[in-house]
Amino acid sequence: MSQTIAAFDPAVDAPAHHHPVYDYDSGPPVARGKFAIWLFLATEIMFFSGLIGAYVVLRTGAGSWPNPEERLAVPITALNTFILITSSWLMVRALLASKTGDRTAVLKWLGATIIGGAVFVGIQVYEYFELIHHGNFPNGDIFWSTFYTMTGFHGTHVIVGLIWLIAVWFATWRGHYTKENNLGIELAGLYWHFVDLVWVLLFTVVYLF
Amino acid sequence: MSDNHDKFHFNAEHIFIKLFILTAAEIAWGYMAKDWGRLLLWGGLISCATWKALLIATYFMHLKFEGWIVKTLIIPTPFLVLVIFGYVIPDVANREGHMIHPIGAQYDPTTGVVVRDLAASEGVEQEPASGGTDGGH
Repeated sequence: MSQTIAAFDPAVDAPAHHHPVYDYDSGPPVARGKFAIWLFLATEIMFFSGLIGAYVVLRTGAGSWPNPEERLAVPITALNTFILITSSWLMVRALLASKTGDRTAVLKWLGATIIGGAVFVGIQVYEYFELIHHGNFPNGDIFWSTFYTMTGFHGTHVIVGLIWLIAVWFATWRGHYTKENNLGIELAGLYWHFVDLVWVLLFTVVYLF
Repeated sequence: MSDNHDKFHFNAEHIFIKLFILTAAEIAWGYMAKDWGRLLLWGGLISCATWKALLIATYFMHLKFEGWIVKTLIIPTPFLVLVIFGYVIPDVANREGHMIHPIGAQYDPTTGVVVRDLAASEGVEQEPASGGTDGGH
């Protein structure tokens, strides 16, 4: 395989960087942004696995464990799960709309996704408020500390995802994305679906077990 | 650049409905199987959750349609997760009063015998403070 280094061309290359210029694509066989987001998501999987692993050890190591049903509002959180799944589907619709170049549809679907995510966060904040109002603080016992740690970190991810989606919405509104260039929407979507995926597992482990 | 978009062919509504039904089934199972034993309860819940997670990753995140490099990045992680769980199995497996080193205890590393139970000696309550039932075990 021929991998020669082309001569430095000051008209093309930024003189300040002096990086080598190759006559072949030295990057991965996928968009760099997508490569980066999947690499990031792999680290996120390990992060949440650490949290869930610690929870499993603490729970099985405890003398007894309270029934989550008796401490948590499972029905309202179940509703929240449906909302997040719906929001994930809306994000799929937004990406599909971006492939057709229909900017109005992208704005509509992205807006609906953001509203779904905001409702999820709102319900979680309400849940936290009610729990703390009734004296259930994170340092109450091991149940509460694991509950607040896992759901808190996930909630933080949802908020980060919302900020990202809002930025993408404004970029779409300004006409930044086109039918051919919509990778930014796809990357935000990947993160959003990942947040949904993590919640599917957390809801099962924390609320239903 | 938006690569591979033309290859992402799947019915989003079909997957969405599947996710909805699985979530409803999982919640129903969580209530129904409470008295059927842990194996059935946890087995059903983990099956539903895993199925949903796979649907999201495979279709919504397009993993099925991605090239080898993305798959290479992400496919090892479940196995690494299994390593983590395998690492903590000794504590999990020895929970029936035979834990190698209970939480909050000092133990002799040569014999594995607990030499001082910090939680007990300091009067820390090990059981959940209130509203606790033995739902977990």
